[in-house]
Amino acid sequence: MAFPRRSRIRIAVLAAIGIAATALTGCGGDSGGSGANGATGPLSVWVRGSGDSMTAYQAIFNAFTAQTGIKVNVYSTLTDFETKLSAAASAHKLPDVAIDDAAQLGNFETQGIIQQIDPGTISGSDQLETTSWNEARDSAGDDYAVPFSVQANLLFIRKDWLAKLHLPVPTTWAQVVQDAVAFTQDDPDGDGKADTYGMDVPGSTSRGYISWWWSTLLWQAGGDYVKSDGSGKYTATLDSPAAVSAASEFEQLACTDKVMQPGYLNDDTTAANKAFETGVVGMYLTGPYAYATFDATAIKGKYVVVAPPLGPTAATLAEGTDMYLMAGAKTDEAEKLLSFMISAKAQNLGMTAVPTATVVRLPVNKTVSATAAHDNDPRWTLAQQVYQTEGHFEYDSMPNWTALRQQASNSINTMMANCSNPSTAMAGLNSSFQSLLQQQGVAG
Amino acid sequence: MPWLFLAPALLFLAVFRFWPTGWGVYLSFFHVRPYLGNQWIGFANYTKAFGDPALLSAVWHTVFDALASVLGSAFLGFCLALLLEGPARHLRLLRTAVFLPVVVAMVAAAELWNELLFPGQTGAVNTLLGDIGIGPQQFLSSPHQALASVIGVQIWKAAPYDMIIFVAGLAGVDRELYEAAAIDGAGALQRLKYVTLPALRPVTTIVLTLGVIRGLRVFTEIYVLTDGGPGGSTQTVVPYDYMQATTNNDVGYAAAVSTMLLVVTVLLTLALRWWRARVED
Repeated sequence: MAFPRRSRIRIAVLAAIGIAATALTGCGGDSGGSGANGATGPLSVWVRGSGDSMTAYQAIFNAFTAQTGIKVNVYSTLTDFETKLSAAASAHKLPDVAIDDAAQLGNFETQGIIQQIDPGTISGSDQLETTSWNEARDSAGDDYAVPFSVQANLLFIRKDWLAKLHLPVPTTWAQVVQDAVAFTQDDPDGDGKADTYGMDVPGSTSRGYISWWWSTLLWQAGGDYVKSDGSGKYTATLDSPAAVSAASEFEQLACTDKVMQPGYLNDDTTAANKAFETGVVGMYLTGPYAYATFDATAIKGKYVVVAPPLGPTAATLAEGTDMYLMAGAKTDEAEKLLSFMISAKAQNLGMTAVPTATVVRLPVNKTVSATAAHDNDPRWTLAQQVYQTEGHFEYDSMPNWTALRQQASNSINTMMANCSNPSTAMAGLNSSFQSLLQQQGVAG
Repeated sequence: MPWLFLAPALLFLAVFRFWPTGWGVYLSFFHVRPYLGNQWIGFANYTKAFGDPALLSAVWHTVFDALASVLGSAFLGFCLALLLEGPARHLRLLRTAVFLPVVVAMVAAAELWNELLFPGQTGAVNTLLGDIGIGPQQFLSSPHQALASVIGVQIWKAAPYDMIIFVAGLAGVDRELYEAAAIDGAGALQRLKYVTLPALRPVTTIVLTLGVIRGLRVFTEIYVLTDGGPGGSTQTVVPYDYMQATTNNDVGYAAAVSTMLLVVTVLLTLALRWWRARVED
C-alpha cells in the first residue's frame, strides 16, 4: 500500500527526530558538579554494601552534612561493585570517594583510578592506629587509601554442643580437630540423626573464599603466599614445608576426618553463615560482624567466641574497609569527608547506629574503643585483642591481589575436591603464582 | 518505505547487538585499561588463549556438556512425545504440566536444584535414593559427579521443549503409513524404526544441531549451580570468560575469548547451512 506523499515526509521527519533524540540522550550530558578539583557541590560517594549497612552509612553521612554543610550523594551496591566502578572509569565519571574492601587497593591503583593520599592533608590522621595504615599502603610503601574499619577472624563454637559432649573449649589446634570430629560423629544436638558437622568452611572459589579461609592456617603454620625482598619485589613461597603442612592439615579435615559441611566446596560465606545459624555445623571462623547477625537468629546465647588456637606462628586473617580518593575528585570536600569518617564521632556512629550492621567493626581511631561502644561486651575486647596481637592482612598491595587469590582458590579447591597429594598441588600452585607475579611485574 | 518500519528494530539491534559485538572484537586487540587508556597489543590475547590450559579444559567441558545435554534432552523429549502425543484432553493437560520446567527462569530452577541436590544424607534427592537403598551421593560437590549433575538439570529443563517439537513432528506423519506397515506385519517397535524415525529425521537434525550450537554458550546453569567448581570440573567457556573480565580484570583477554567463540559459532552455523543445502539437493 502506498502512503500519500505528504504523510511519507511526515513519517520520515518523525523517524529522523526519533533517531536523533536517541543518539543525543545516548551521548549523555555532563551534569554539574563533577570533575574540576576544588569545585563546590555535592560529593558523590560509592559504597560497597546494601540493606542495613547503608542505613548506618547514611547516618554517618547525615552527621557529616550537618557538621559541614556539604551534601553527599550515595550510590551503593553489593554485587559487581568493582565492575560497575570500571564502567564509570571508562566513562570518566568516577565518584569522588569509594568505600570498598581493602583487598582492592592494588587493583584500583593499577587501573589508575585512585589518588595517592598524603596523611598530612587528612586532619585527625594522627589519631589513627599505625597498624591500620598497613591495609592502605601499596607495594612501594605509598598510601593510596584511608583506612575506615579493621577486623580479624575469631573462632565461633557452639557451647551447647561442647556441654552436651562434655568437651572443654579448645585452646590448641589438635583440640579443635578433636572437637570437630566429635561434633560430626557424636550427635551433639541429640536428634538421633547424623546431620551435624564440625567445621564450617566457605570452600567456594568465587571471590576466592577458600583461599581466604585457608590463609589463617597457612600463616599459623609459619608459611606465606610470598616473600618480599624489601624493595617491592616478591617470590612465591607456597611450596615451602610450612605451606605444604598447612595444606595437608586442611585436606585432613575434609578427606580423613570429614568434618566439613556437605557441599562446602561450593559454599560462599552466605551459605556458610546459614549453615552455622541453622545448627548444621558447630565451629566457624569468621569476623566480629557476625555477633549481631548471629544474635538475631536462634543460636543467640548458644555460641562462644574464642581466639583461633595458635600454630607455631601467631596469625589470623585480618581485613578491613578502606576509603579511596578517586581520580578527578573534588579534593577539598573529599578530604573533609575522609577526616570526618576517621573522627571519633563517625567511628562511634559506624559501630552503634544500626546494631545489626556494624560498618565499623574495630575502629581505626585509637581514641575510640569498640568495647565501650558495645556496652562493655567482652566479645569486642577479645576481637580488639586478637586483631592487635595476631592480625595478618592479605597482600592488598599487589597490583592484582584478587587474581592471585583466585588462582590459589582454584588450586586449593581442586586439591580438596580430589583429595590429592598436597605437595604436588602446592608445587603446581607455586609455579602458577610465580607466573602471575611475573605478569603483574612484581616478581623478584 | 519498508525500511522505515524496520528502523526501530534495526536501531535496537544495532545498539544492543551489533555495536557491542564489533566493539568486543576491537577490544580483543588491546590491553584494556578503562581509565588510563587501552594499549594496542595485537594478537597477544589470542596467543595467550591458545596457551591457556584452563581455557582448553573449559572448551572440552563445554563441548561435552552441549553434546550430552542436547542428546539427552532430545532422547527424553522424543520418549515423552511418544507417550504423550494425541489430541485427548488428559494428554493435553499432561503435556502442559510436563512443559512447566521450560517456562521457569533458569536462575530460579538452578537455585532450587542446588537445594534438592544437597550432598548430605538429608538432601531431598538423597532421601529418595536412600529409600531405594542407594547411599547419599555427592552430586554437585564431587568433581566426578558435578558435570553429570549439571547436565541432568539442563536435560530436565530442555526435554519438554523438544517434546513439543517432536509432538508436532509426529502429528505430521501420515497415518496411512502406519496402517500399511501394520498390514505388512510390522510390530510397534518396527513401525517406530521404519516409519516414525525416518519421518522425523529433518526435525531431529535441526533440534540436535541448533541445540549444540546454542549449548556452546551455556552460562546461567553453570554460574548458579557450581560457578565452575568443584575443582574446575564444570568450568565452561562463558563463565570462564566472565571471570577473566571481572575477577581478573582482563577485559581484553575476555574479549579475545568471546571473539573466538563467536567465530566458532558462525563457522558451525555456516557449515550446518551448507550441509543442509547439500542434503536437500
